[in-house]
Amino acid sequence: MSDVLIQRLTKRHGEVTVLHGIDLDVPRGEFLTLLGPSGCGKSTTLFALAGLDKPSGGHIAVGGRTFYDGEDGTFVAPEERNLGLVFQSYALWPHMTVAKNLAFPLTLRKVPKAEQRSRIAEALELVDLGDYADRFPHELSGGQQQRVALARTLVFRPSLLLLDEPLSNLDAKLRIKSRALLKSLQRQLGLTTLYVTHDQEEALAMSDRIAVMEKGRIVQIDRPEAIYNRPATRFVADFVGAGNFLPVRASRGRQGEIVEARLDHGEVLRAVRSAATGSDTQGFMTVRPQYLRLAPAGSAVAAGNNRLDGMIEERTFLGVRNGYAIRVGDHLVTAESEDRFETGPVTLAFRPEDTLLLDH
Amino acid sequence: MNAPAFPSGNTTAPSGTMAAPSGTNRQLTLAIGIQWLTAIATLVLVLAPLGPILWQSLLDRPLYQPNAVLSFDNFARLLSDAGFLRAVATSFELAFAATAIACATGVGLALFLERTDLPARGAFRLFALAPMYMSQLVNAFAWYLIYGPAGYLTLFGEMLVGVPPWDMYGIGGMAIVAGTSMTPLVYLFCSSSARMADATLEDAARSVGAGPLRVLWSVSLPLMRPSIIYAALLVFIGTLETLAVPLVFGRPVGLESFTTFLFSRGLGAITPDYGLVGAAAVLLLVLVAVLLAVQSVLLKGAGRFVTVRGKAQRPRRIALGALRRPVATVFWVYFVLTLMLPLLAIIARSFTTFLTPLLSPLKVLTTDNYALVLGHPAYLRSITNSVIVASVGALVATLGIAVIALVAKRSAFRFAKGLEYLAMFPRAMPGIVAGIGFFWAMLLLPFAHWLQGTIWILMIAFAMRGIPTAYGAIAAALVQVGTELDQSARSVGAGWWKTCTAIVLPLIRPALFSAFTLLFLGFLKEYASAVFLYAPGSEIIGTTMLSLWSNGDTGAVAALSVIQIAITGVFVSLAHFVTRTNRDV
Repeated sequence: MSDVLIQRLTKRHGEVTVLHGIDLDVPRGEFLTLLGPSGCGKSTTLFALAGLDKPSGGHIAVGGRTFYDGEDGTFVAPEERNLGLVFQSYALWPHMTVAKNLAFPLTLRKVPKAEQRSRIAEALELVDLGDYADRFPHELSGGQQQRVALARTLVFRPSLLLLDEPLSNLDAKLRIKSRALLKSLQRQLGLTTLYVTHDQEEALAMSDRIAVMEKGRIVQIDRPEAIYNRPATRFVADFVGAGNFLPVRASRGRQGEIVEARLDHGEVLRAVRSAATGSDTQGFMTVRPQYLRLAPAGSAVAAGNNRLDGMIEERTFLGVRNGYAIRVGDHLVTAESEDRFETGPVTLAFRPEDTLLLDH
Repeated sequence: MNAPAFPSGNTTAPSGTMAAPSGTNRQLTLAIGIQWLTAIATLVLVLAPLGPILWQSLLDRPLYQPNAVLSFDNFARLLSDAGFLRAVATSFELAFAATAIACATGVGLALFLERTDLPARGAFRLFALAPMYMSQLVNAFAWYLIYGPAGYLTLFGEMLVGVPPWDMYGIGGMAIVAGTSMTPLVYLFCSSSARMADATLEDAARSVGAGPLRVLWSVSLPLMRPSIIYAALLVFIGTLETLAVPLVFGRPVGLESFTTFLFSRGLGAITPDYGLVGAAAVLLLVLVAVLLAVQSVLLKGAGRFVTVRGKAQRPRRIALGALRRPVATVFWVYFVLTLMLPLLAIIARSFTTFLTPLLSPLKVLTTDNYALVLGHPAYLRSITNSVIVASVGALVATLGIAVIALVAKRSAFRFAKGLEYLAMFPRAMPGIVAGIGFFWAMLLLPFAHWLQGTIWILMIAFAMRGIPTAYGAIAAALVQVGTELDQSARSVGAGWWKTCTAIVLPLIRPALFSAFTLLFLGFLKEYASAVFLYAPGSEIIGTTMLSLWSNGDTGAVAALSVIQIAITGVFVSLAHFVTRTNRDV
């Protein structure tokens, strides 16, 4: 059953269009991530859902109730939506203690004092901050503030959890810890969650589904594995960390089919089509550095695998592996290998299944 | 570069190196000289009024008479003087009431103008700050003309209901006049903190279920607490110091305040009681100093009002929805009652022989008031004196205070920190106390009496009072200029003074200009310190208005008020024009 329904959502600031008709359907209990670079409209979408940003058109409904409709002018005020929003800056009220921060939403809902106390204790316990009720926000570390912010949204049992880059102000170690906490809490509570981030790793690790956004549009929406392995466009591929984009002319094929692609200097490779298109189109081939196997120049390549010959121009020591910059024709390809090769000619082998054909 | 050929074995300095700029020692001497001179001049300026007051408060006879005996007698007499104790009580009541009024209106304005989508915010902002440009004296007269016992609206109300609908004489009336005239102070401090407030804190409150008014009350308002405390103490001190309001709305019914007590005992009496006035001045000084200390203690630990900031926020405003119009209406009524009607009354009075609801003002139109003011040499002189004092005085003071700031903030001067405290000290000196102090200094110091009765002593007194304001504006800008700019100038060979004049001062031109503007407007409005210092020939608008007012010459007072407002208006528009056309300034 769909819990969040967004249709044709648009947002304009004067001449500039920030959102070009977003469609999104999130079933109950799902963890959906809006992923994209800054300025792609992911936060705007989230704030429109929260009611803090008024859209220019479209339709938003949560749990069957219409929050916004551009046609009939429906607009439910943010305070009436009962959504839990965690801000990037945490937005803890600095003049209130942790307990007061949590009590405020409960007071607004006229929850009796005794019940407030037990619910606040419960929420703080949930984020492992049971002893911090009487502290002021400035007396807490960044990670603790972030957990208080989470507890403050959970304490009033919102119908939806919205998170706006909640981990971006934490250091790397803490970020991974908080990620696990957040994910386990979400599973435990079964809350439908919309998560905004520009960090692909975060998105891949936590989400049930990821919607990748570019310039105010959703360009691909799928499971994390699919986004990672089968990005639909070069933009998505680039964003989830693929590299080695080589221009090719590709033959006709259906999505997911292995087809032939001709590099601009004549070599023919086989690659998986990311999307169905017409014949003989100009596109890009991409293969991740870790999928490229290096072998001494002129080595034989297993049948059915792709082969490229190039020159190692530079080796970088990366710890477990070595990084290589390899010239293939006019292009520089990066590869990674545990084996050590010196600069000079080299042969690259890779499977067609690991090679992806993108149209644009 | 061609290295000259030298016979082998000869050692030379590396080619291309130049000697350090000549006269490095001279530069050092110059720097130290300027720094000491500045410190001593500031010390003399601040101590000139302070010393004689402290001295006099301990003497049993006027300080110019020989054979005086030191004692605490004056304080004993003062504290057993029932009139003084009543005046102090009145001052405190007035200060509390006025602070409450000013804070309520100022904070309300700041919240609604800076945090919500109230309509006509631009106009409201203008009105909210307008009283700041007006002299307290003019403001008090204006209120008197419309709400006083014979005021236009008072009489109008009396015609309708039979009895005067209100009585502005007394604590309540004084508190309203003082409180509304100090509202801009509260608004100014709170609005800047409201503008800087993190909008996500309000968004967060809305997302957990708080409506717009609830957000303002529970989140926006408490976040402004440091600014409110700061502004409240400023208003409290300002009300304790004000002379105009109790003079116009208290004295006629026998209600003396701290300042009117000093005014009447020091000036009004035929034989002033020097010891008593000195002791009272010292007490007022101590009181204000204590309040300033309280202010700085209360503002410590304001850390919990600062939080982690996220990405740059779009300035979002709280949507008032259906409340927009009602709230805007309340503000319109407030500004019409407290600003526009008093202004209108004083303008109307200046062009009529008599202002009453019984007669159409058009039937009693006249330019006699202006003819009187502009035709009488002493009155006309007070206008030109005011303009000279404001422009020349403010210019010289700005330059002097800029040097003080440079020495205190940008030099290796040993007593830089002490100089800064000294520069801030005049905050503790109310205008009337400064006036008494300088007056006595001239009696005491043999070489100072040639200043007596000149506009120069007025400029000196006003400049002393103006140091903290201008210093604040300039020092804040100095902190913004990176020290590496000085250091690089020093490293290429500029001395301290050269660095200041060639690098630092040009960079803070906008701050110097705004300091000048503040001082000009302050000098133009100042009257309290002048009442003890002026003499025939050195009248200024404020002192002339006061003497015309005590003669009951309201028409001339109104004309002078309008002239002062007009000068202010022209100056403010000019300053605005300069800042707008010249981004450099």
